[in-house]
Amino acid sequence: MKKVVLFVTLVVFAFTASFATVTAPTVASSNGMVAAVNNYAAEVGAKILEMGGNAVDAAIAVSFALGVVEPYASGLGGEGYAVITMADGRKFAIDFRSTAPMAASYEALSELGLTLSKANYTPRGACVPGVPAGIKEAWLLGATMPLKDLIQPAIDLARDGFIVDETFAQTTSDKYELVLENGFDFLNEGFVWEAGSVFTNPQLAETLERIKEEGIDTFYTGSLADEIEEFMIENDGFIRKSDLEMYRAIVREPLHGTYRGYDLYVPHPPVSGPQFIAVLNTLENYNLPAMSWDDPLAVHIIQQALVLGDVDRRAYISDPEFYDLPYEAFMSKEYAKTRFMAINLSQAFDPASYYDYQGNAYPFADGSSYEEVLLEALESVAANESGVEESPSTTHFSIVDKDGNAVAWTQTISSFFGTSVYFKGFFFNNEMYNFASSYREGDVINLTGGMRPRTTICPTIIQKDGKVRWVIGTPGGGRIISTMVQLAVDLIDFNMPVDQAIRTPKFVGYTTYKDLRIEEGYPQTTLDFLEKVLGHQLNVYSYPDLFFGGPNLVSVEENGLMIGAGSIRRLGSASAPEF
Amino acid sequence: MKRLLIVLLIIGVVSVGFAADGTEQGFVLEEPVAVTSAGQSPGALQFTVVAKMVKLEYTFEKLLSVETVDISQFKTLVLVVGASGKGLGAANIDIEAEILRVKSLAEAAEKSGVKVVICNLEGESRRGPSSDRIVTELAPFADAYFVKSDADQDGFFTTFSEKAGVPLATFEKTVDLKDVLAEYFGK
Repeated sequence: MKKVVLFVTLVVFAFTASFATVTAPTVASSNGMVAAVNNYAAEVGAKILEMGGNAVDAAIAVSFALGVVEPYASGLGGEGYAVITMADGRKFAIDFRSTAPMAASYEALSELGLTLSKANYTPRGACVPGVPAGIKEAWLLGATMPLKDLIQPAIDLARDGFIVDETFAQTTSDKYELVLENGFDFLNEGFVWEAGSVFTNPQLAETLERIKEEGIDTFYTGSLADEIEEFMIENDGFIRKSDLEMYRAIVREPLHGTYRGYDLYVPHPPVSGPQFIAVLNTLENYNLPAMSWDDPLAVHIIQQALVLGDVDRRAYISDPEFYDLPYEAFMSKEYAKTRFMAINLSQAFDPASYYDYQGNAYPFADGSSYEEVLLEALESVAANESGVEESPSTTHFSIVDKDGNAVAWTQTISSFFGTSVYFKGFFFNNEMYNFASSYREGDVINLTGGMRPRTTICPTIIQKDGKVRWVIGTPGGGRIISTMVQLAVDLIDFNMPVDQAIRTPKFVGYTTYKDLRIEEGYPQTTLDFLEKVLGHQLNVYSYPDLFFGGPNLVSVEENGLMIGAGSIRRLGSASAPEF
Repeated sequence: MKRLLIVLLIIGVVSVGFAADGTEQGFVLEEPVAVTSAGQSPGALQFTVVAKMVKLEYTFEKLLSVETVDISQFKTLVLVVGASGKGLGAANIDIEAEILRVKSLAEAAEKSGVKVVICNLEGESRRGPSSDRIVTELAPFADAYFVKSDADQDGFFTTFSEKAGVPLATFEKTVDLKDVLAEYFGK
């Protein structure tokens, strides 16, 4: 009898111990750390770390889990980008951005009496999803656990359910009309999901179960691909099985930049790694550490640098498989000197003339210095303004394991609920909307079959002396780079801990906005100075506002202690194994 | 004597409960029904989902106004209250204009003998200052209140209902509104 009791006790203890994790808005641990926008997803990652998995294993499990607990922000029908640095020195940038289906074109839309805008919330608004392929590449490159074990937590969450939080409820409420029309099965018997209710997704559990049994390839070449094609044909979508078969996630070395002695590893185009580095390069010319986060001059300098970075982004960032653009010159220190020169410390740019400040990065492609280039005079290139208002959707998570492997992973279905077209428990993305709204001569984001659209996501790993220091990233549409730059400045220049960097009020420098959008929390004198002395037109948002993104960060301190912090703007969490 | 007092008290409480509780007084509502939002939250659209369940004859317009509709063609006007900044923004209308729109509708309904129902379908989440203000502005026109019970934890709707002597029907879950509609519309 004693033996039985002892055995049962041991089993219970072992079971309890095997799932011992700590989850909270901010967590410190030396055993590894996951920071994600949702506590269930963060905990899934921490449990994988606790089971002996590494950061890549945890990232795969979190990616699947986020598709369950935040189906409106990412999932199998979406896409994304991951930057991975392994403790052995290997570095990967996995581009699993979606691609335009081959049948998609302005002409095809026009023949149907459609525009990209009109097609946005229909199956025709969907690009070929990349998340499953990205997961597969990550698994092949750095995982240690069987894929089946990494998908199982998501299946459990989908089947057993979880408690709906305020973000889930609010997001569903905000898009209720759209989802009622296109994704009725997602709703709670036709109604909005309320905070505190239990959400289950048996359809998604079944889809994930099929992927677990048949392998990820079923999504691209197998029976699931057949069903996607059938659905798209029935519902007038562009995606065909041939598009799925052609789809590849692309693995590269991450792009590298520096900021005040730190090494930054960022994504390639068509996402915004080069823009992030370019803005920081510009800021490196200022003595920001001598200022404070709420100094109006610091706000002005950063905001103006962001505007310049965004003007340039529109000219120099696109799918590198389709356009040969000088994005490396754009992110060079020499080019940044010219952007530094363009900022007027006593007067904000006139928003009506933003595009007059388009820089010319081409002459810097051969490594010329700014003195040489400017002496030969600048030439400008045409810029194209997109008036697309991007939603604060998307999701980012950061992971570091006890061995120092790190993953920065951002995934999205573009807008919240994407196209709102619901299929087998997930939503199809509406990435097509990130191409130019109509054909524009000379534009670098004209809709082309097979091409990846441009977006602003930017998962980043920051190292110091070869060791991971911070893993950062955020959702937030057109505000992503603004929030990313402020995070980097807050962490590096103002020495803030990660939770404070998240909490600090944010602002935006983005050419689509002609005003300076800024969160409440800055001193009134700062706001008055920005408006009355520097000429900014202010638009003050309440605090905290999801509009400014939802970063989830991990820092690794000198003593090896990891601190994870979840976004306060989206109820994020950090989670760590307790062993 | 004490017992008698307690019994009388209980009877009194129950009577007050009934006085504010719908069809106990023989209060009925008739079709066709005009449904509109008062604050542009998704509540009004959710009302139509329930209305379909009970096969209610209704017309729904988010921005129904006296300029676009002759309210006298309806027998009941349902104003689903819920102020949403995003909803108002999407509808390109500010809170003042929204209040003016729904008050004008309610006034026109009252003049035409159309019954006015104020409905809160989204519970506590639509009990902010703007939503409460809308209810307060519309209260003089209300013939009945249909309210998700967690929106009335502080007795906000009960107070209006009792002051005006009009029925208040509460329900726990959104889908339970169908029982209220079935009862009041005799479905």
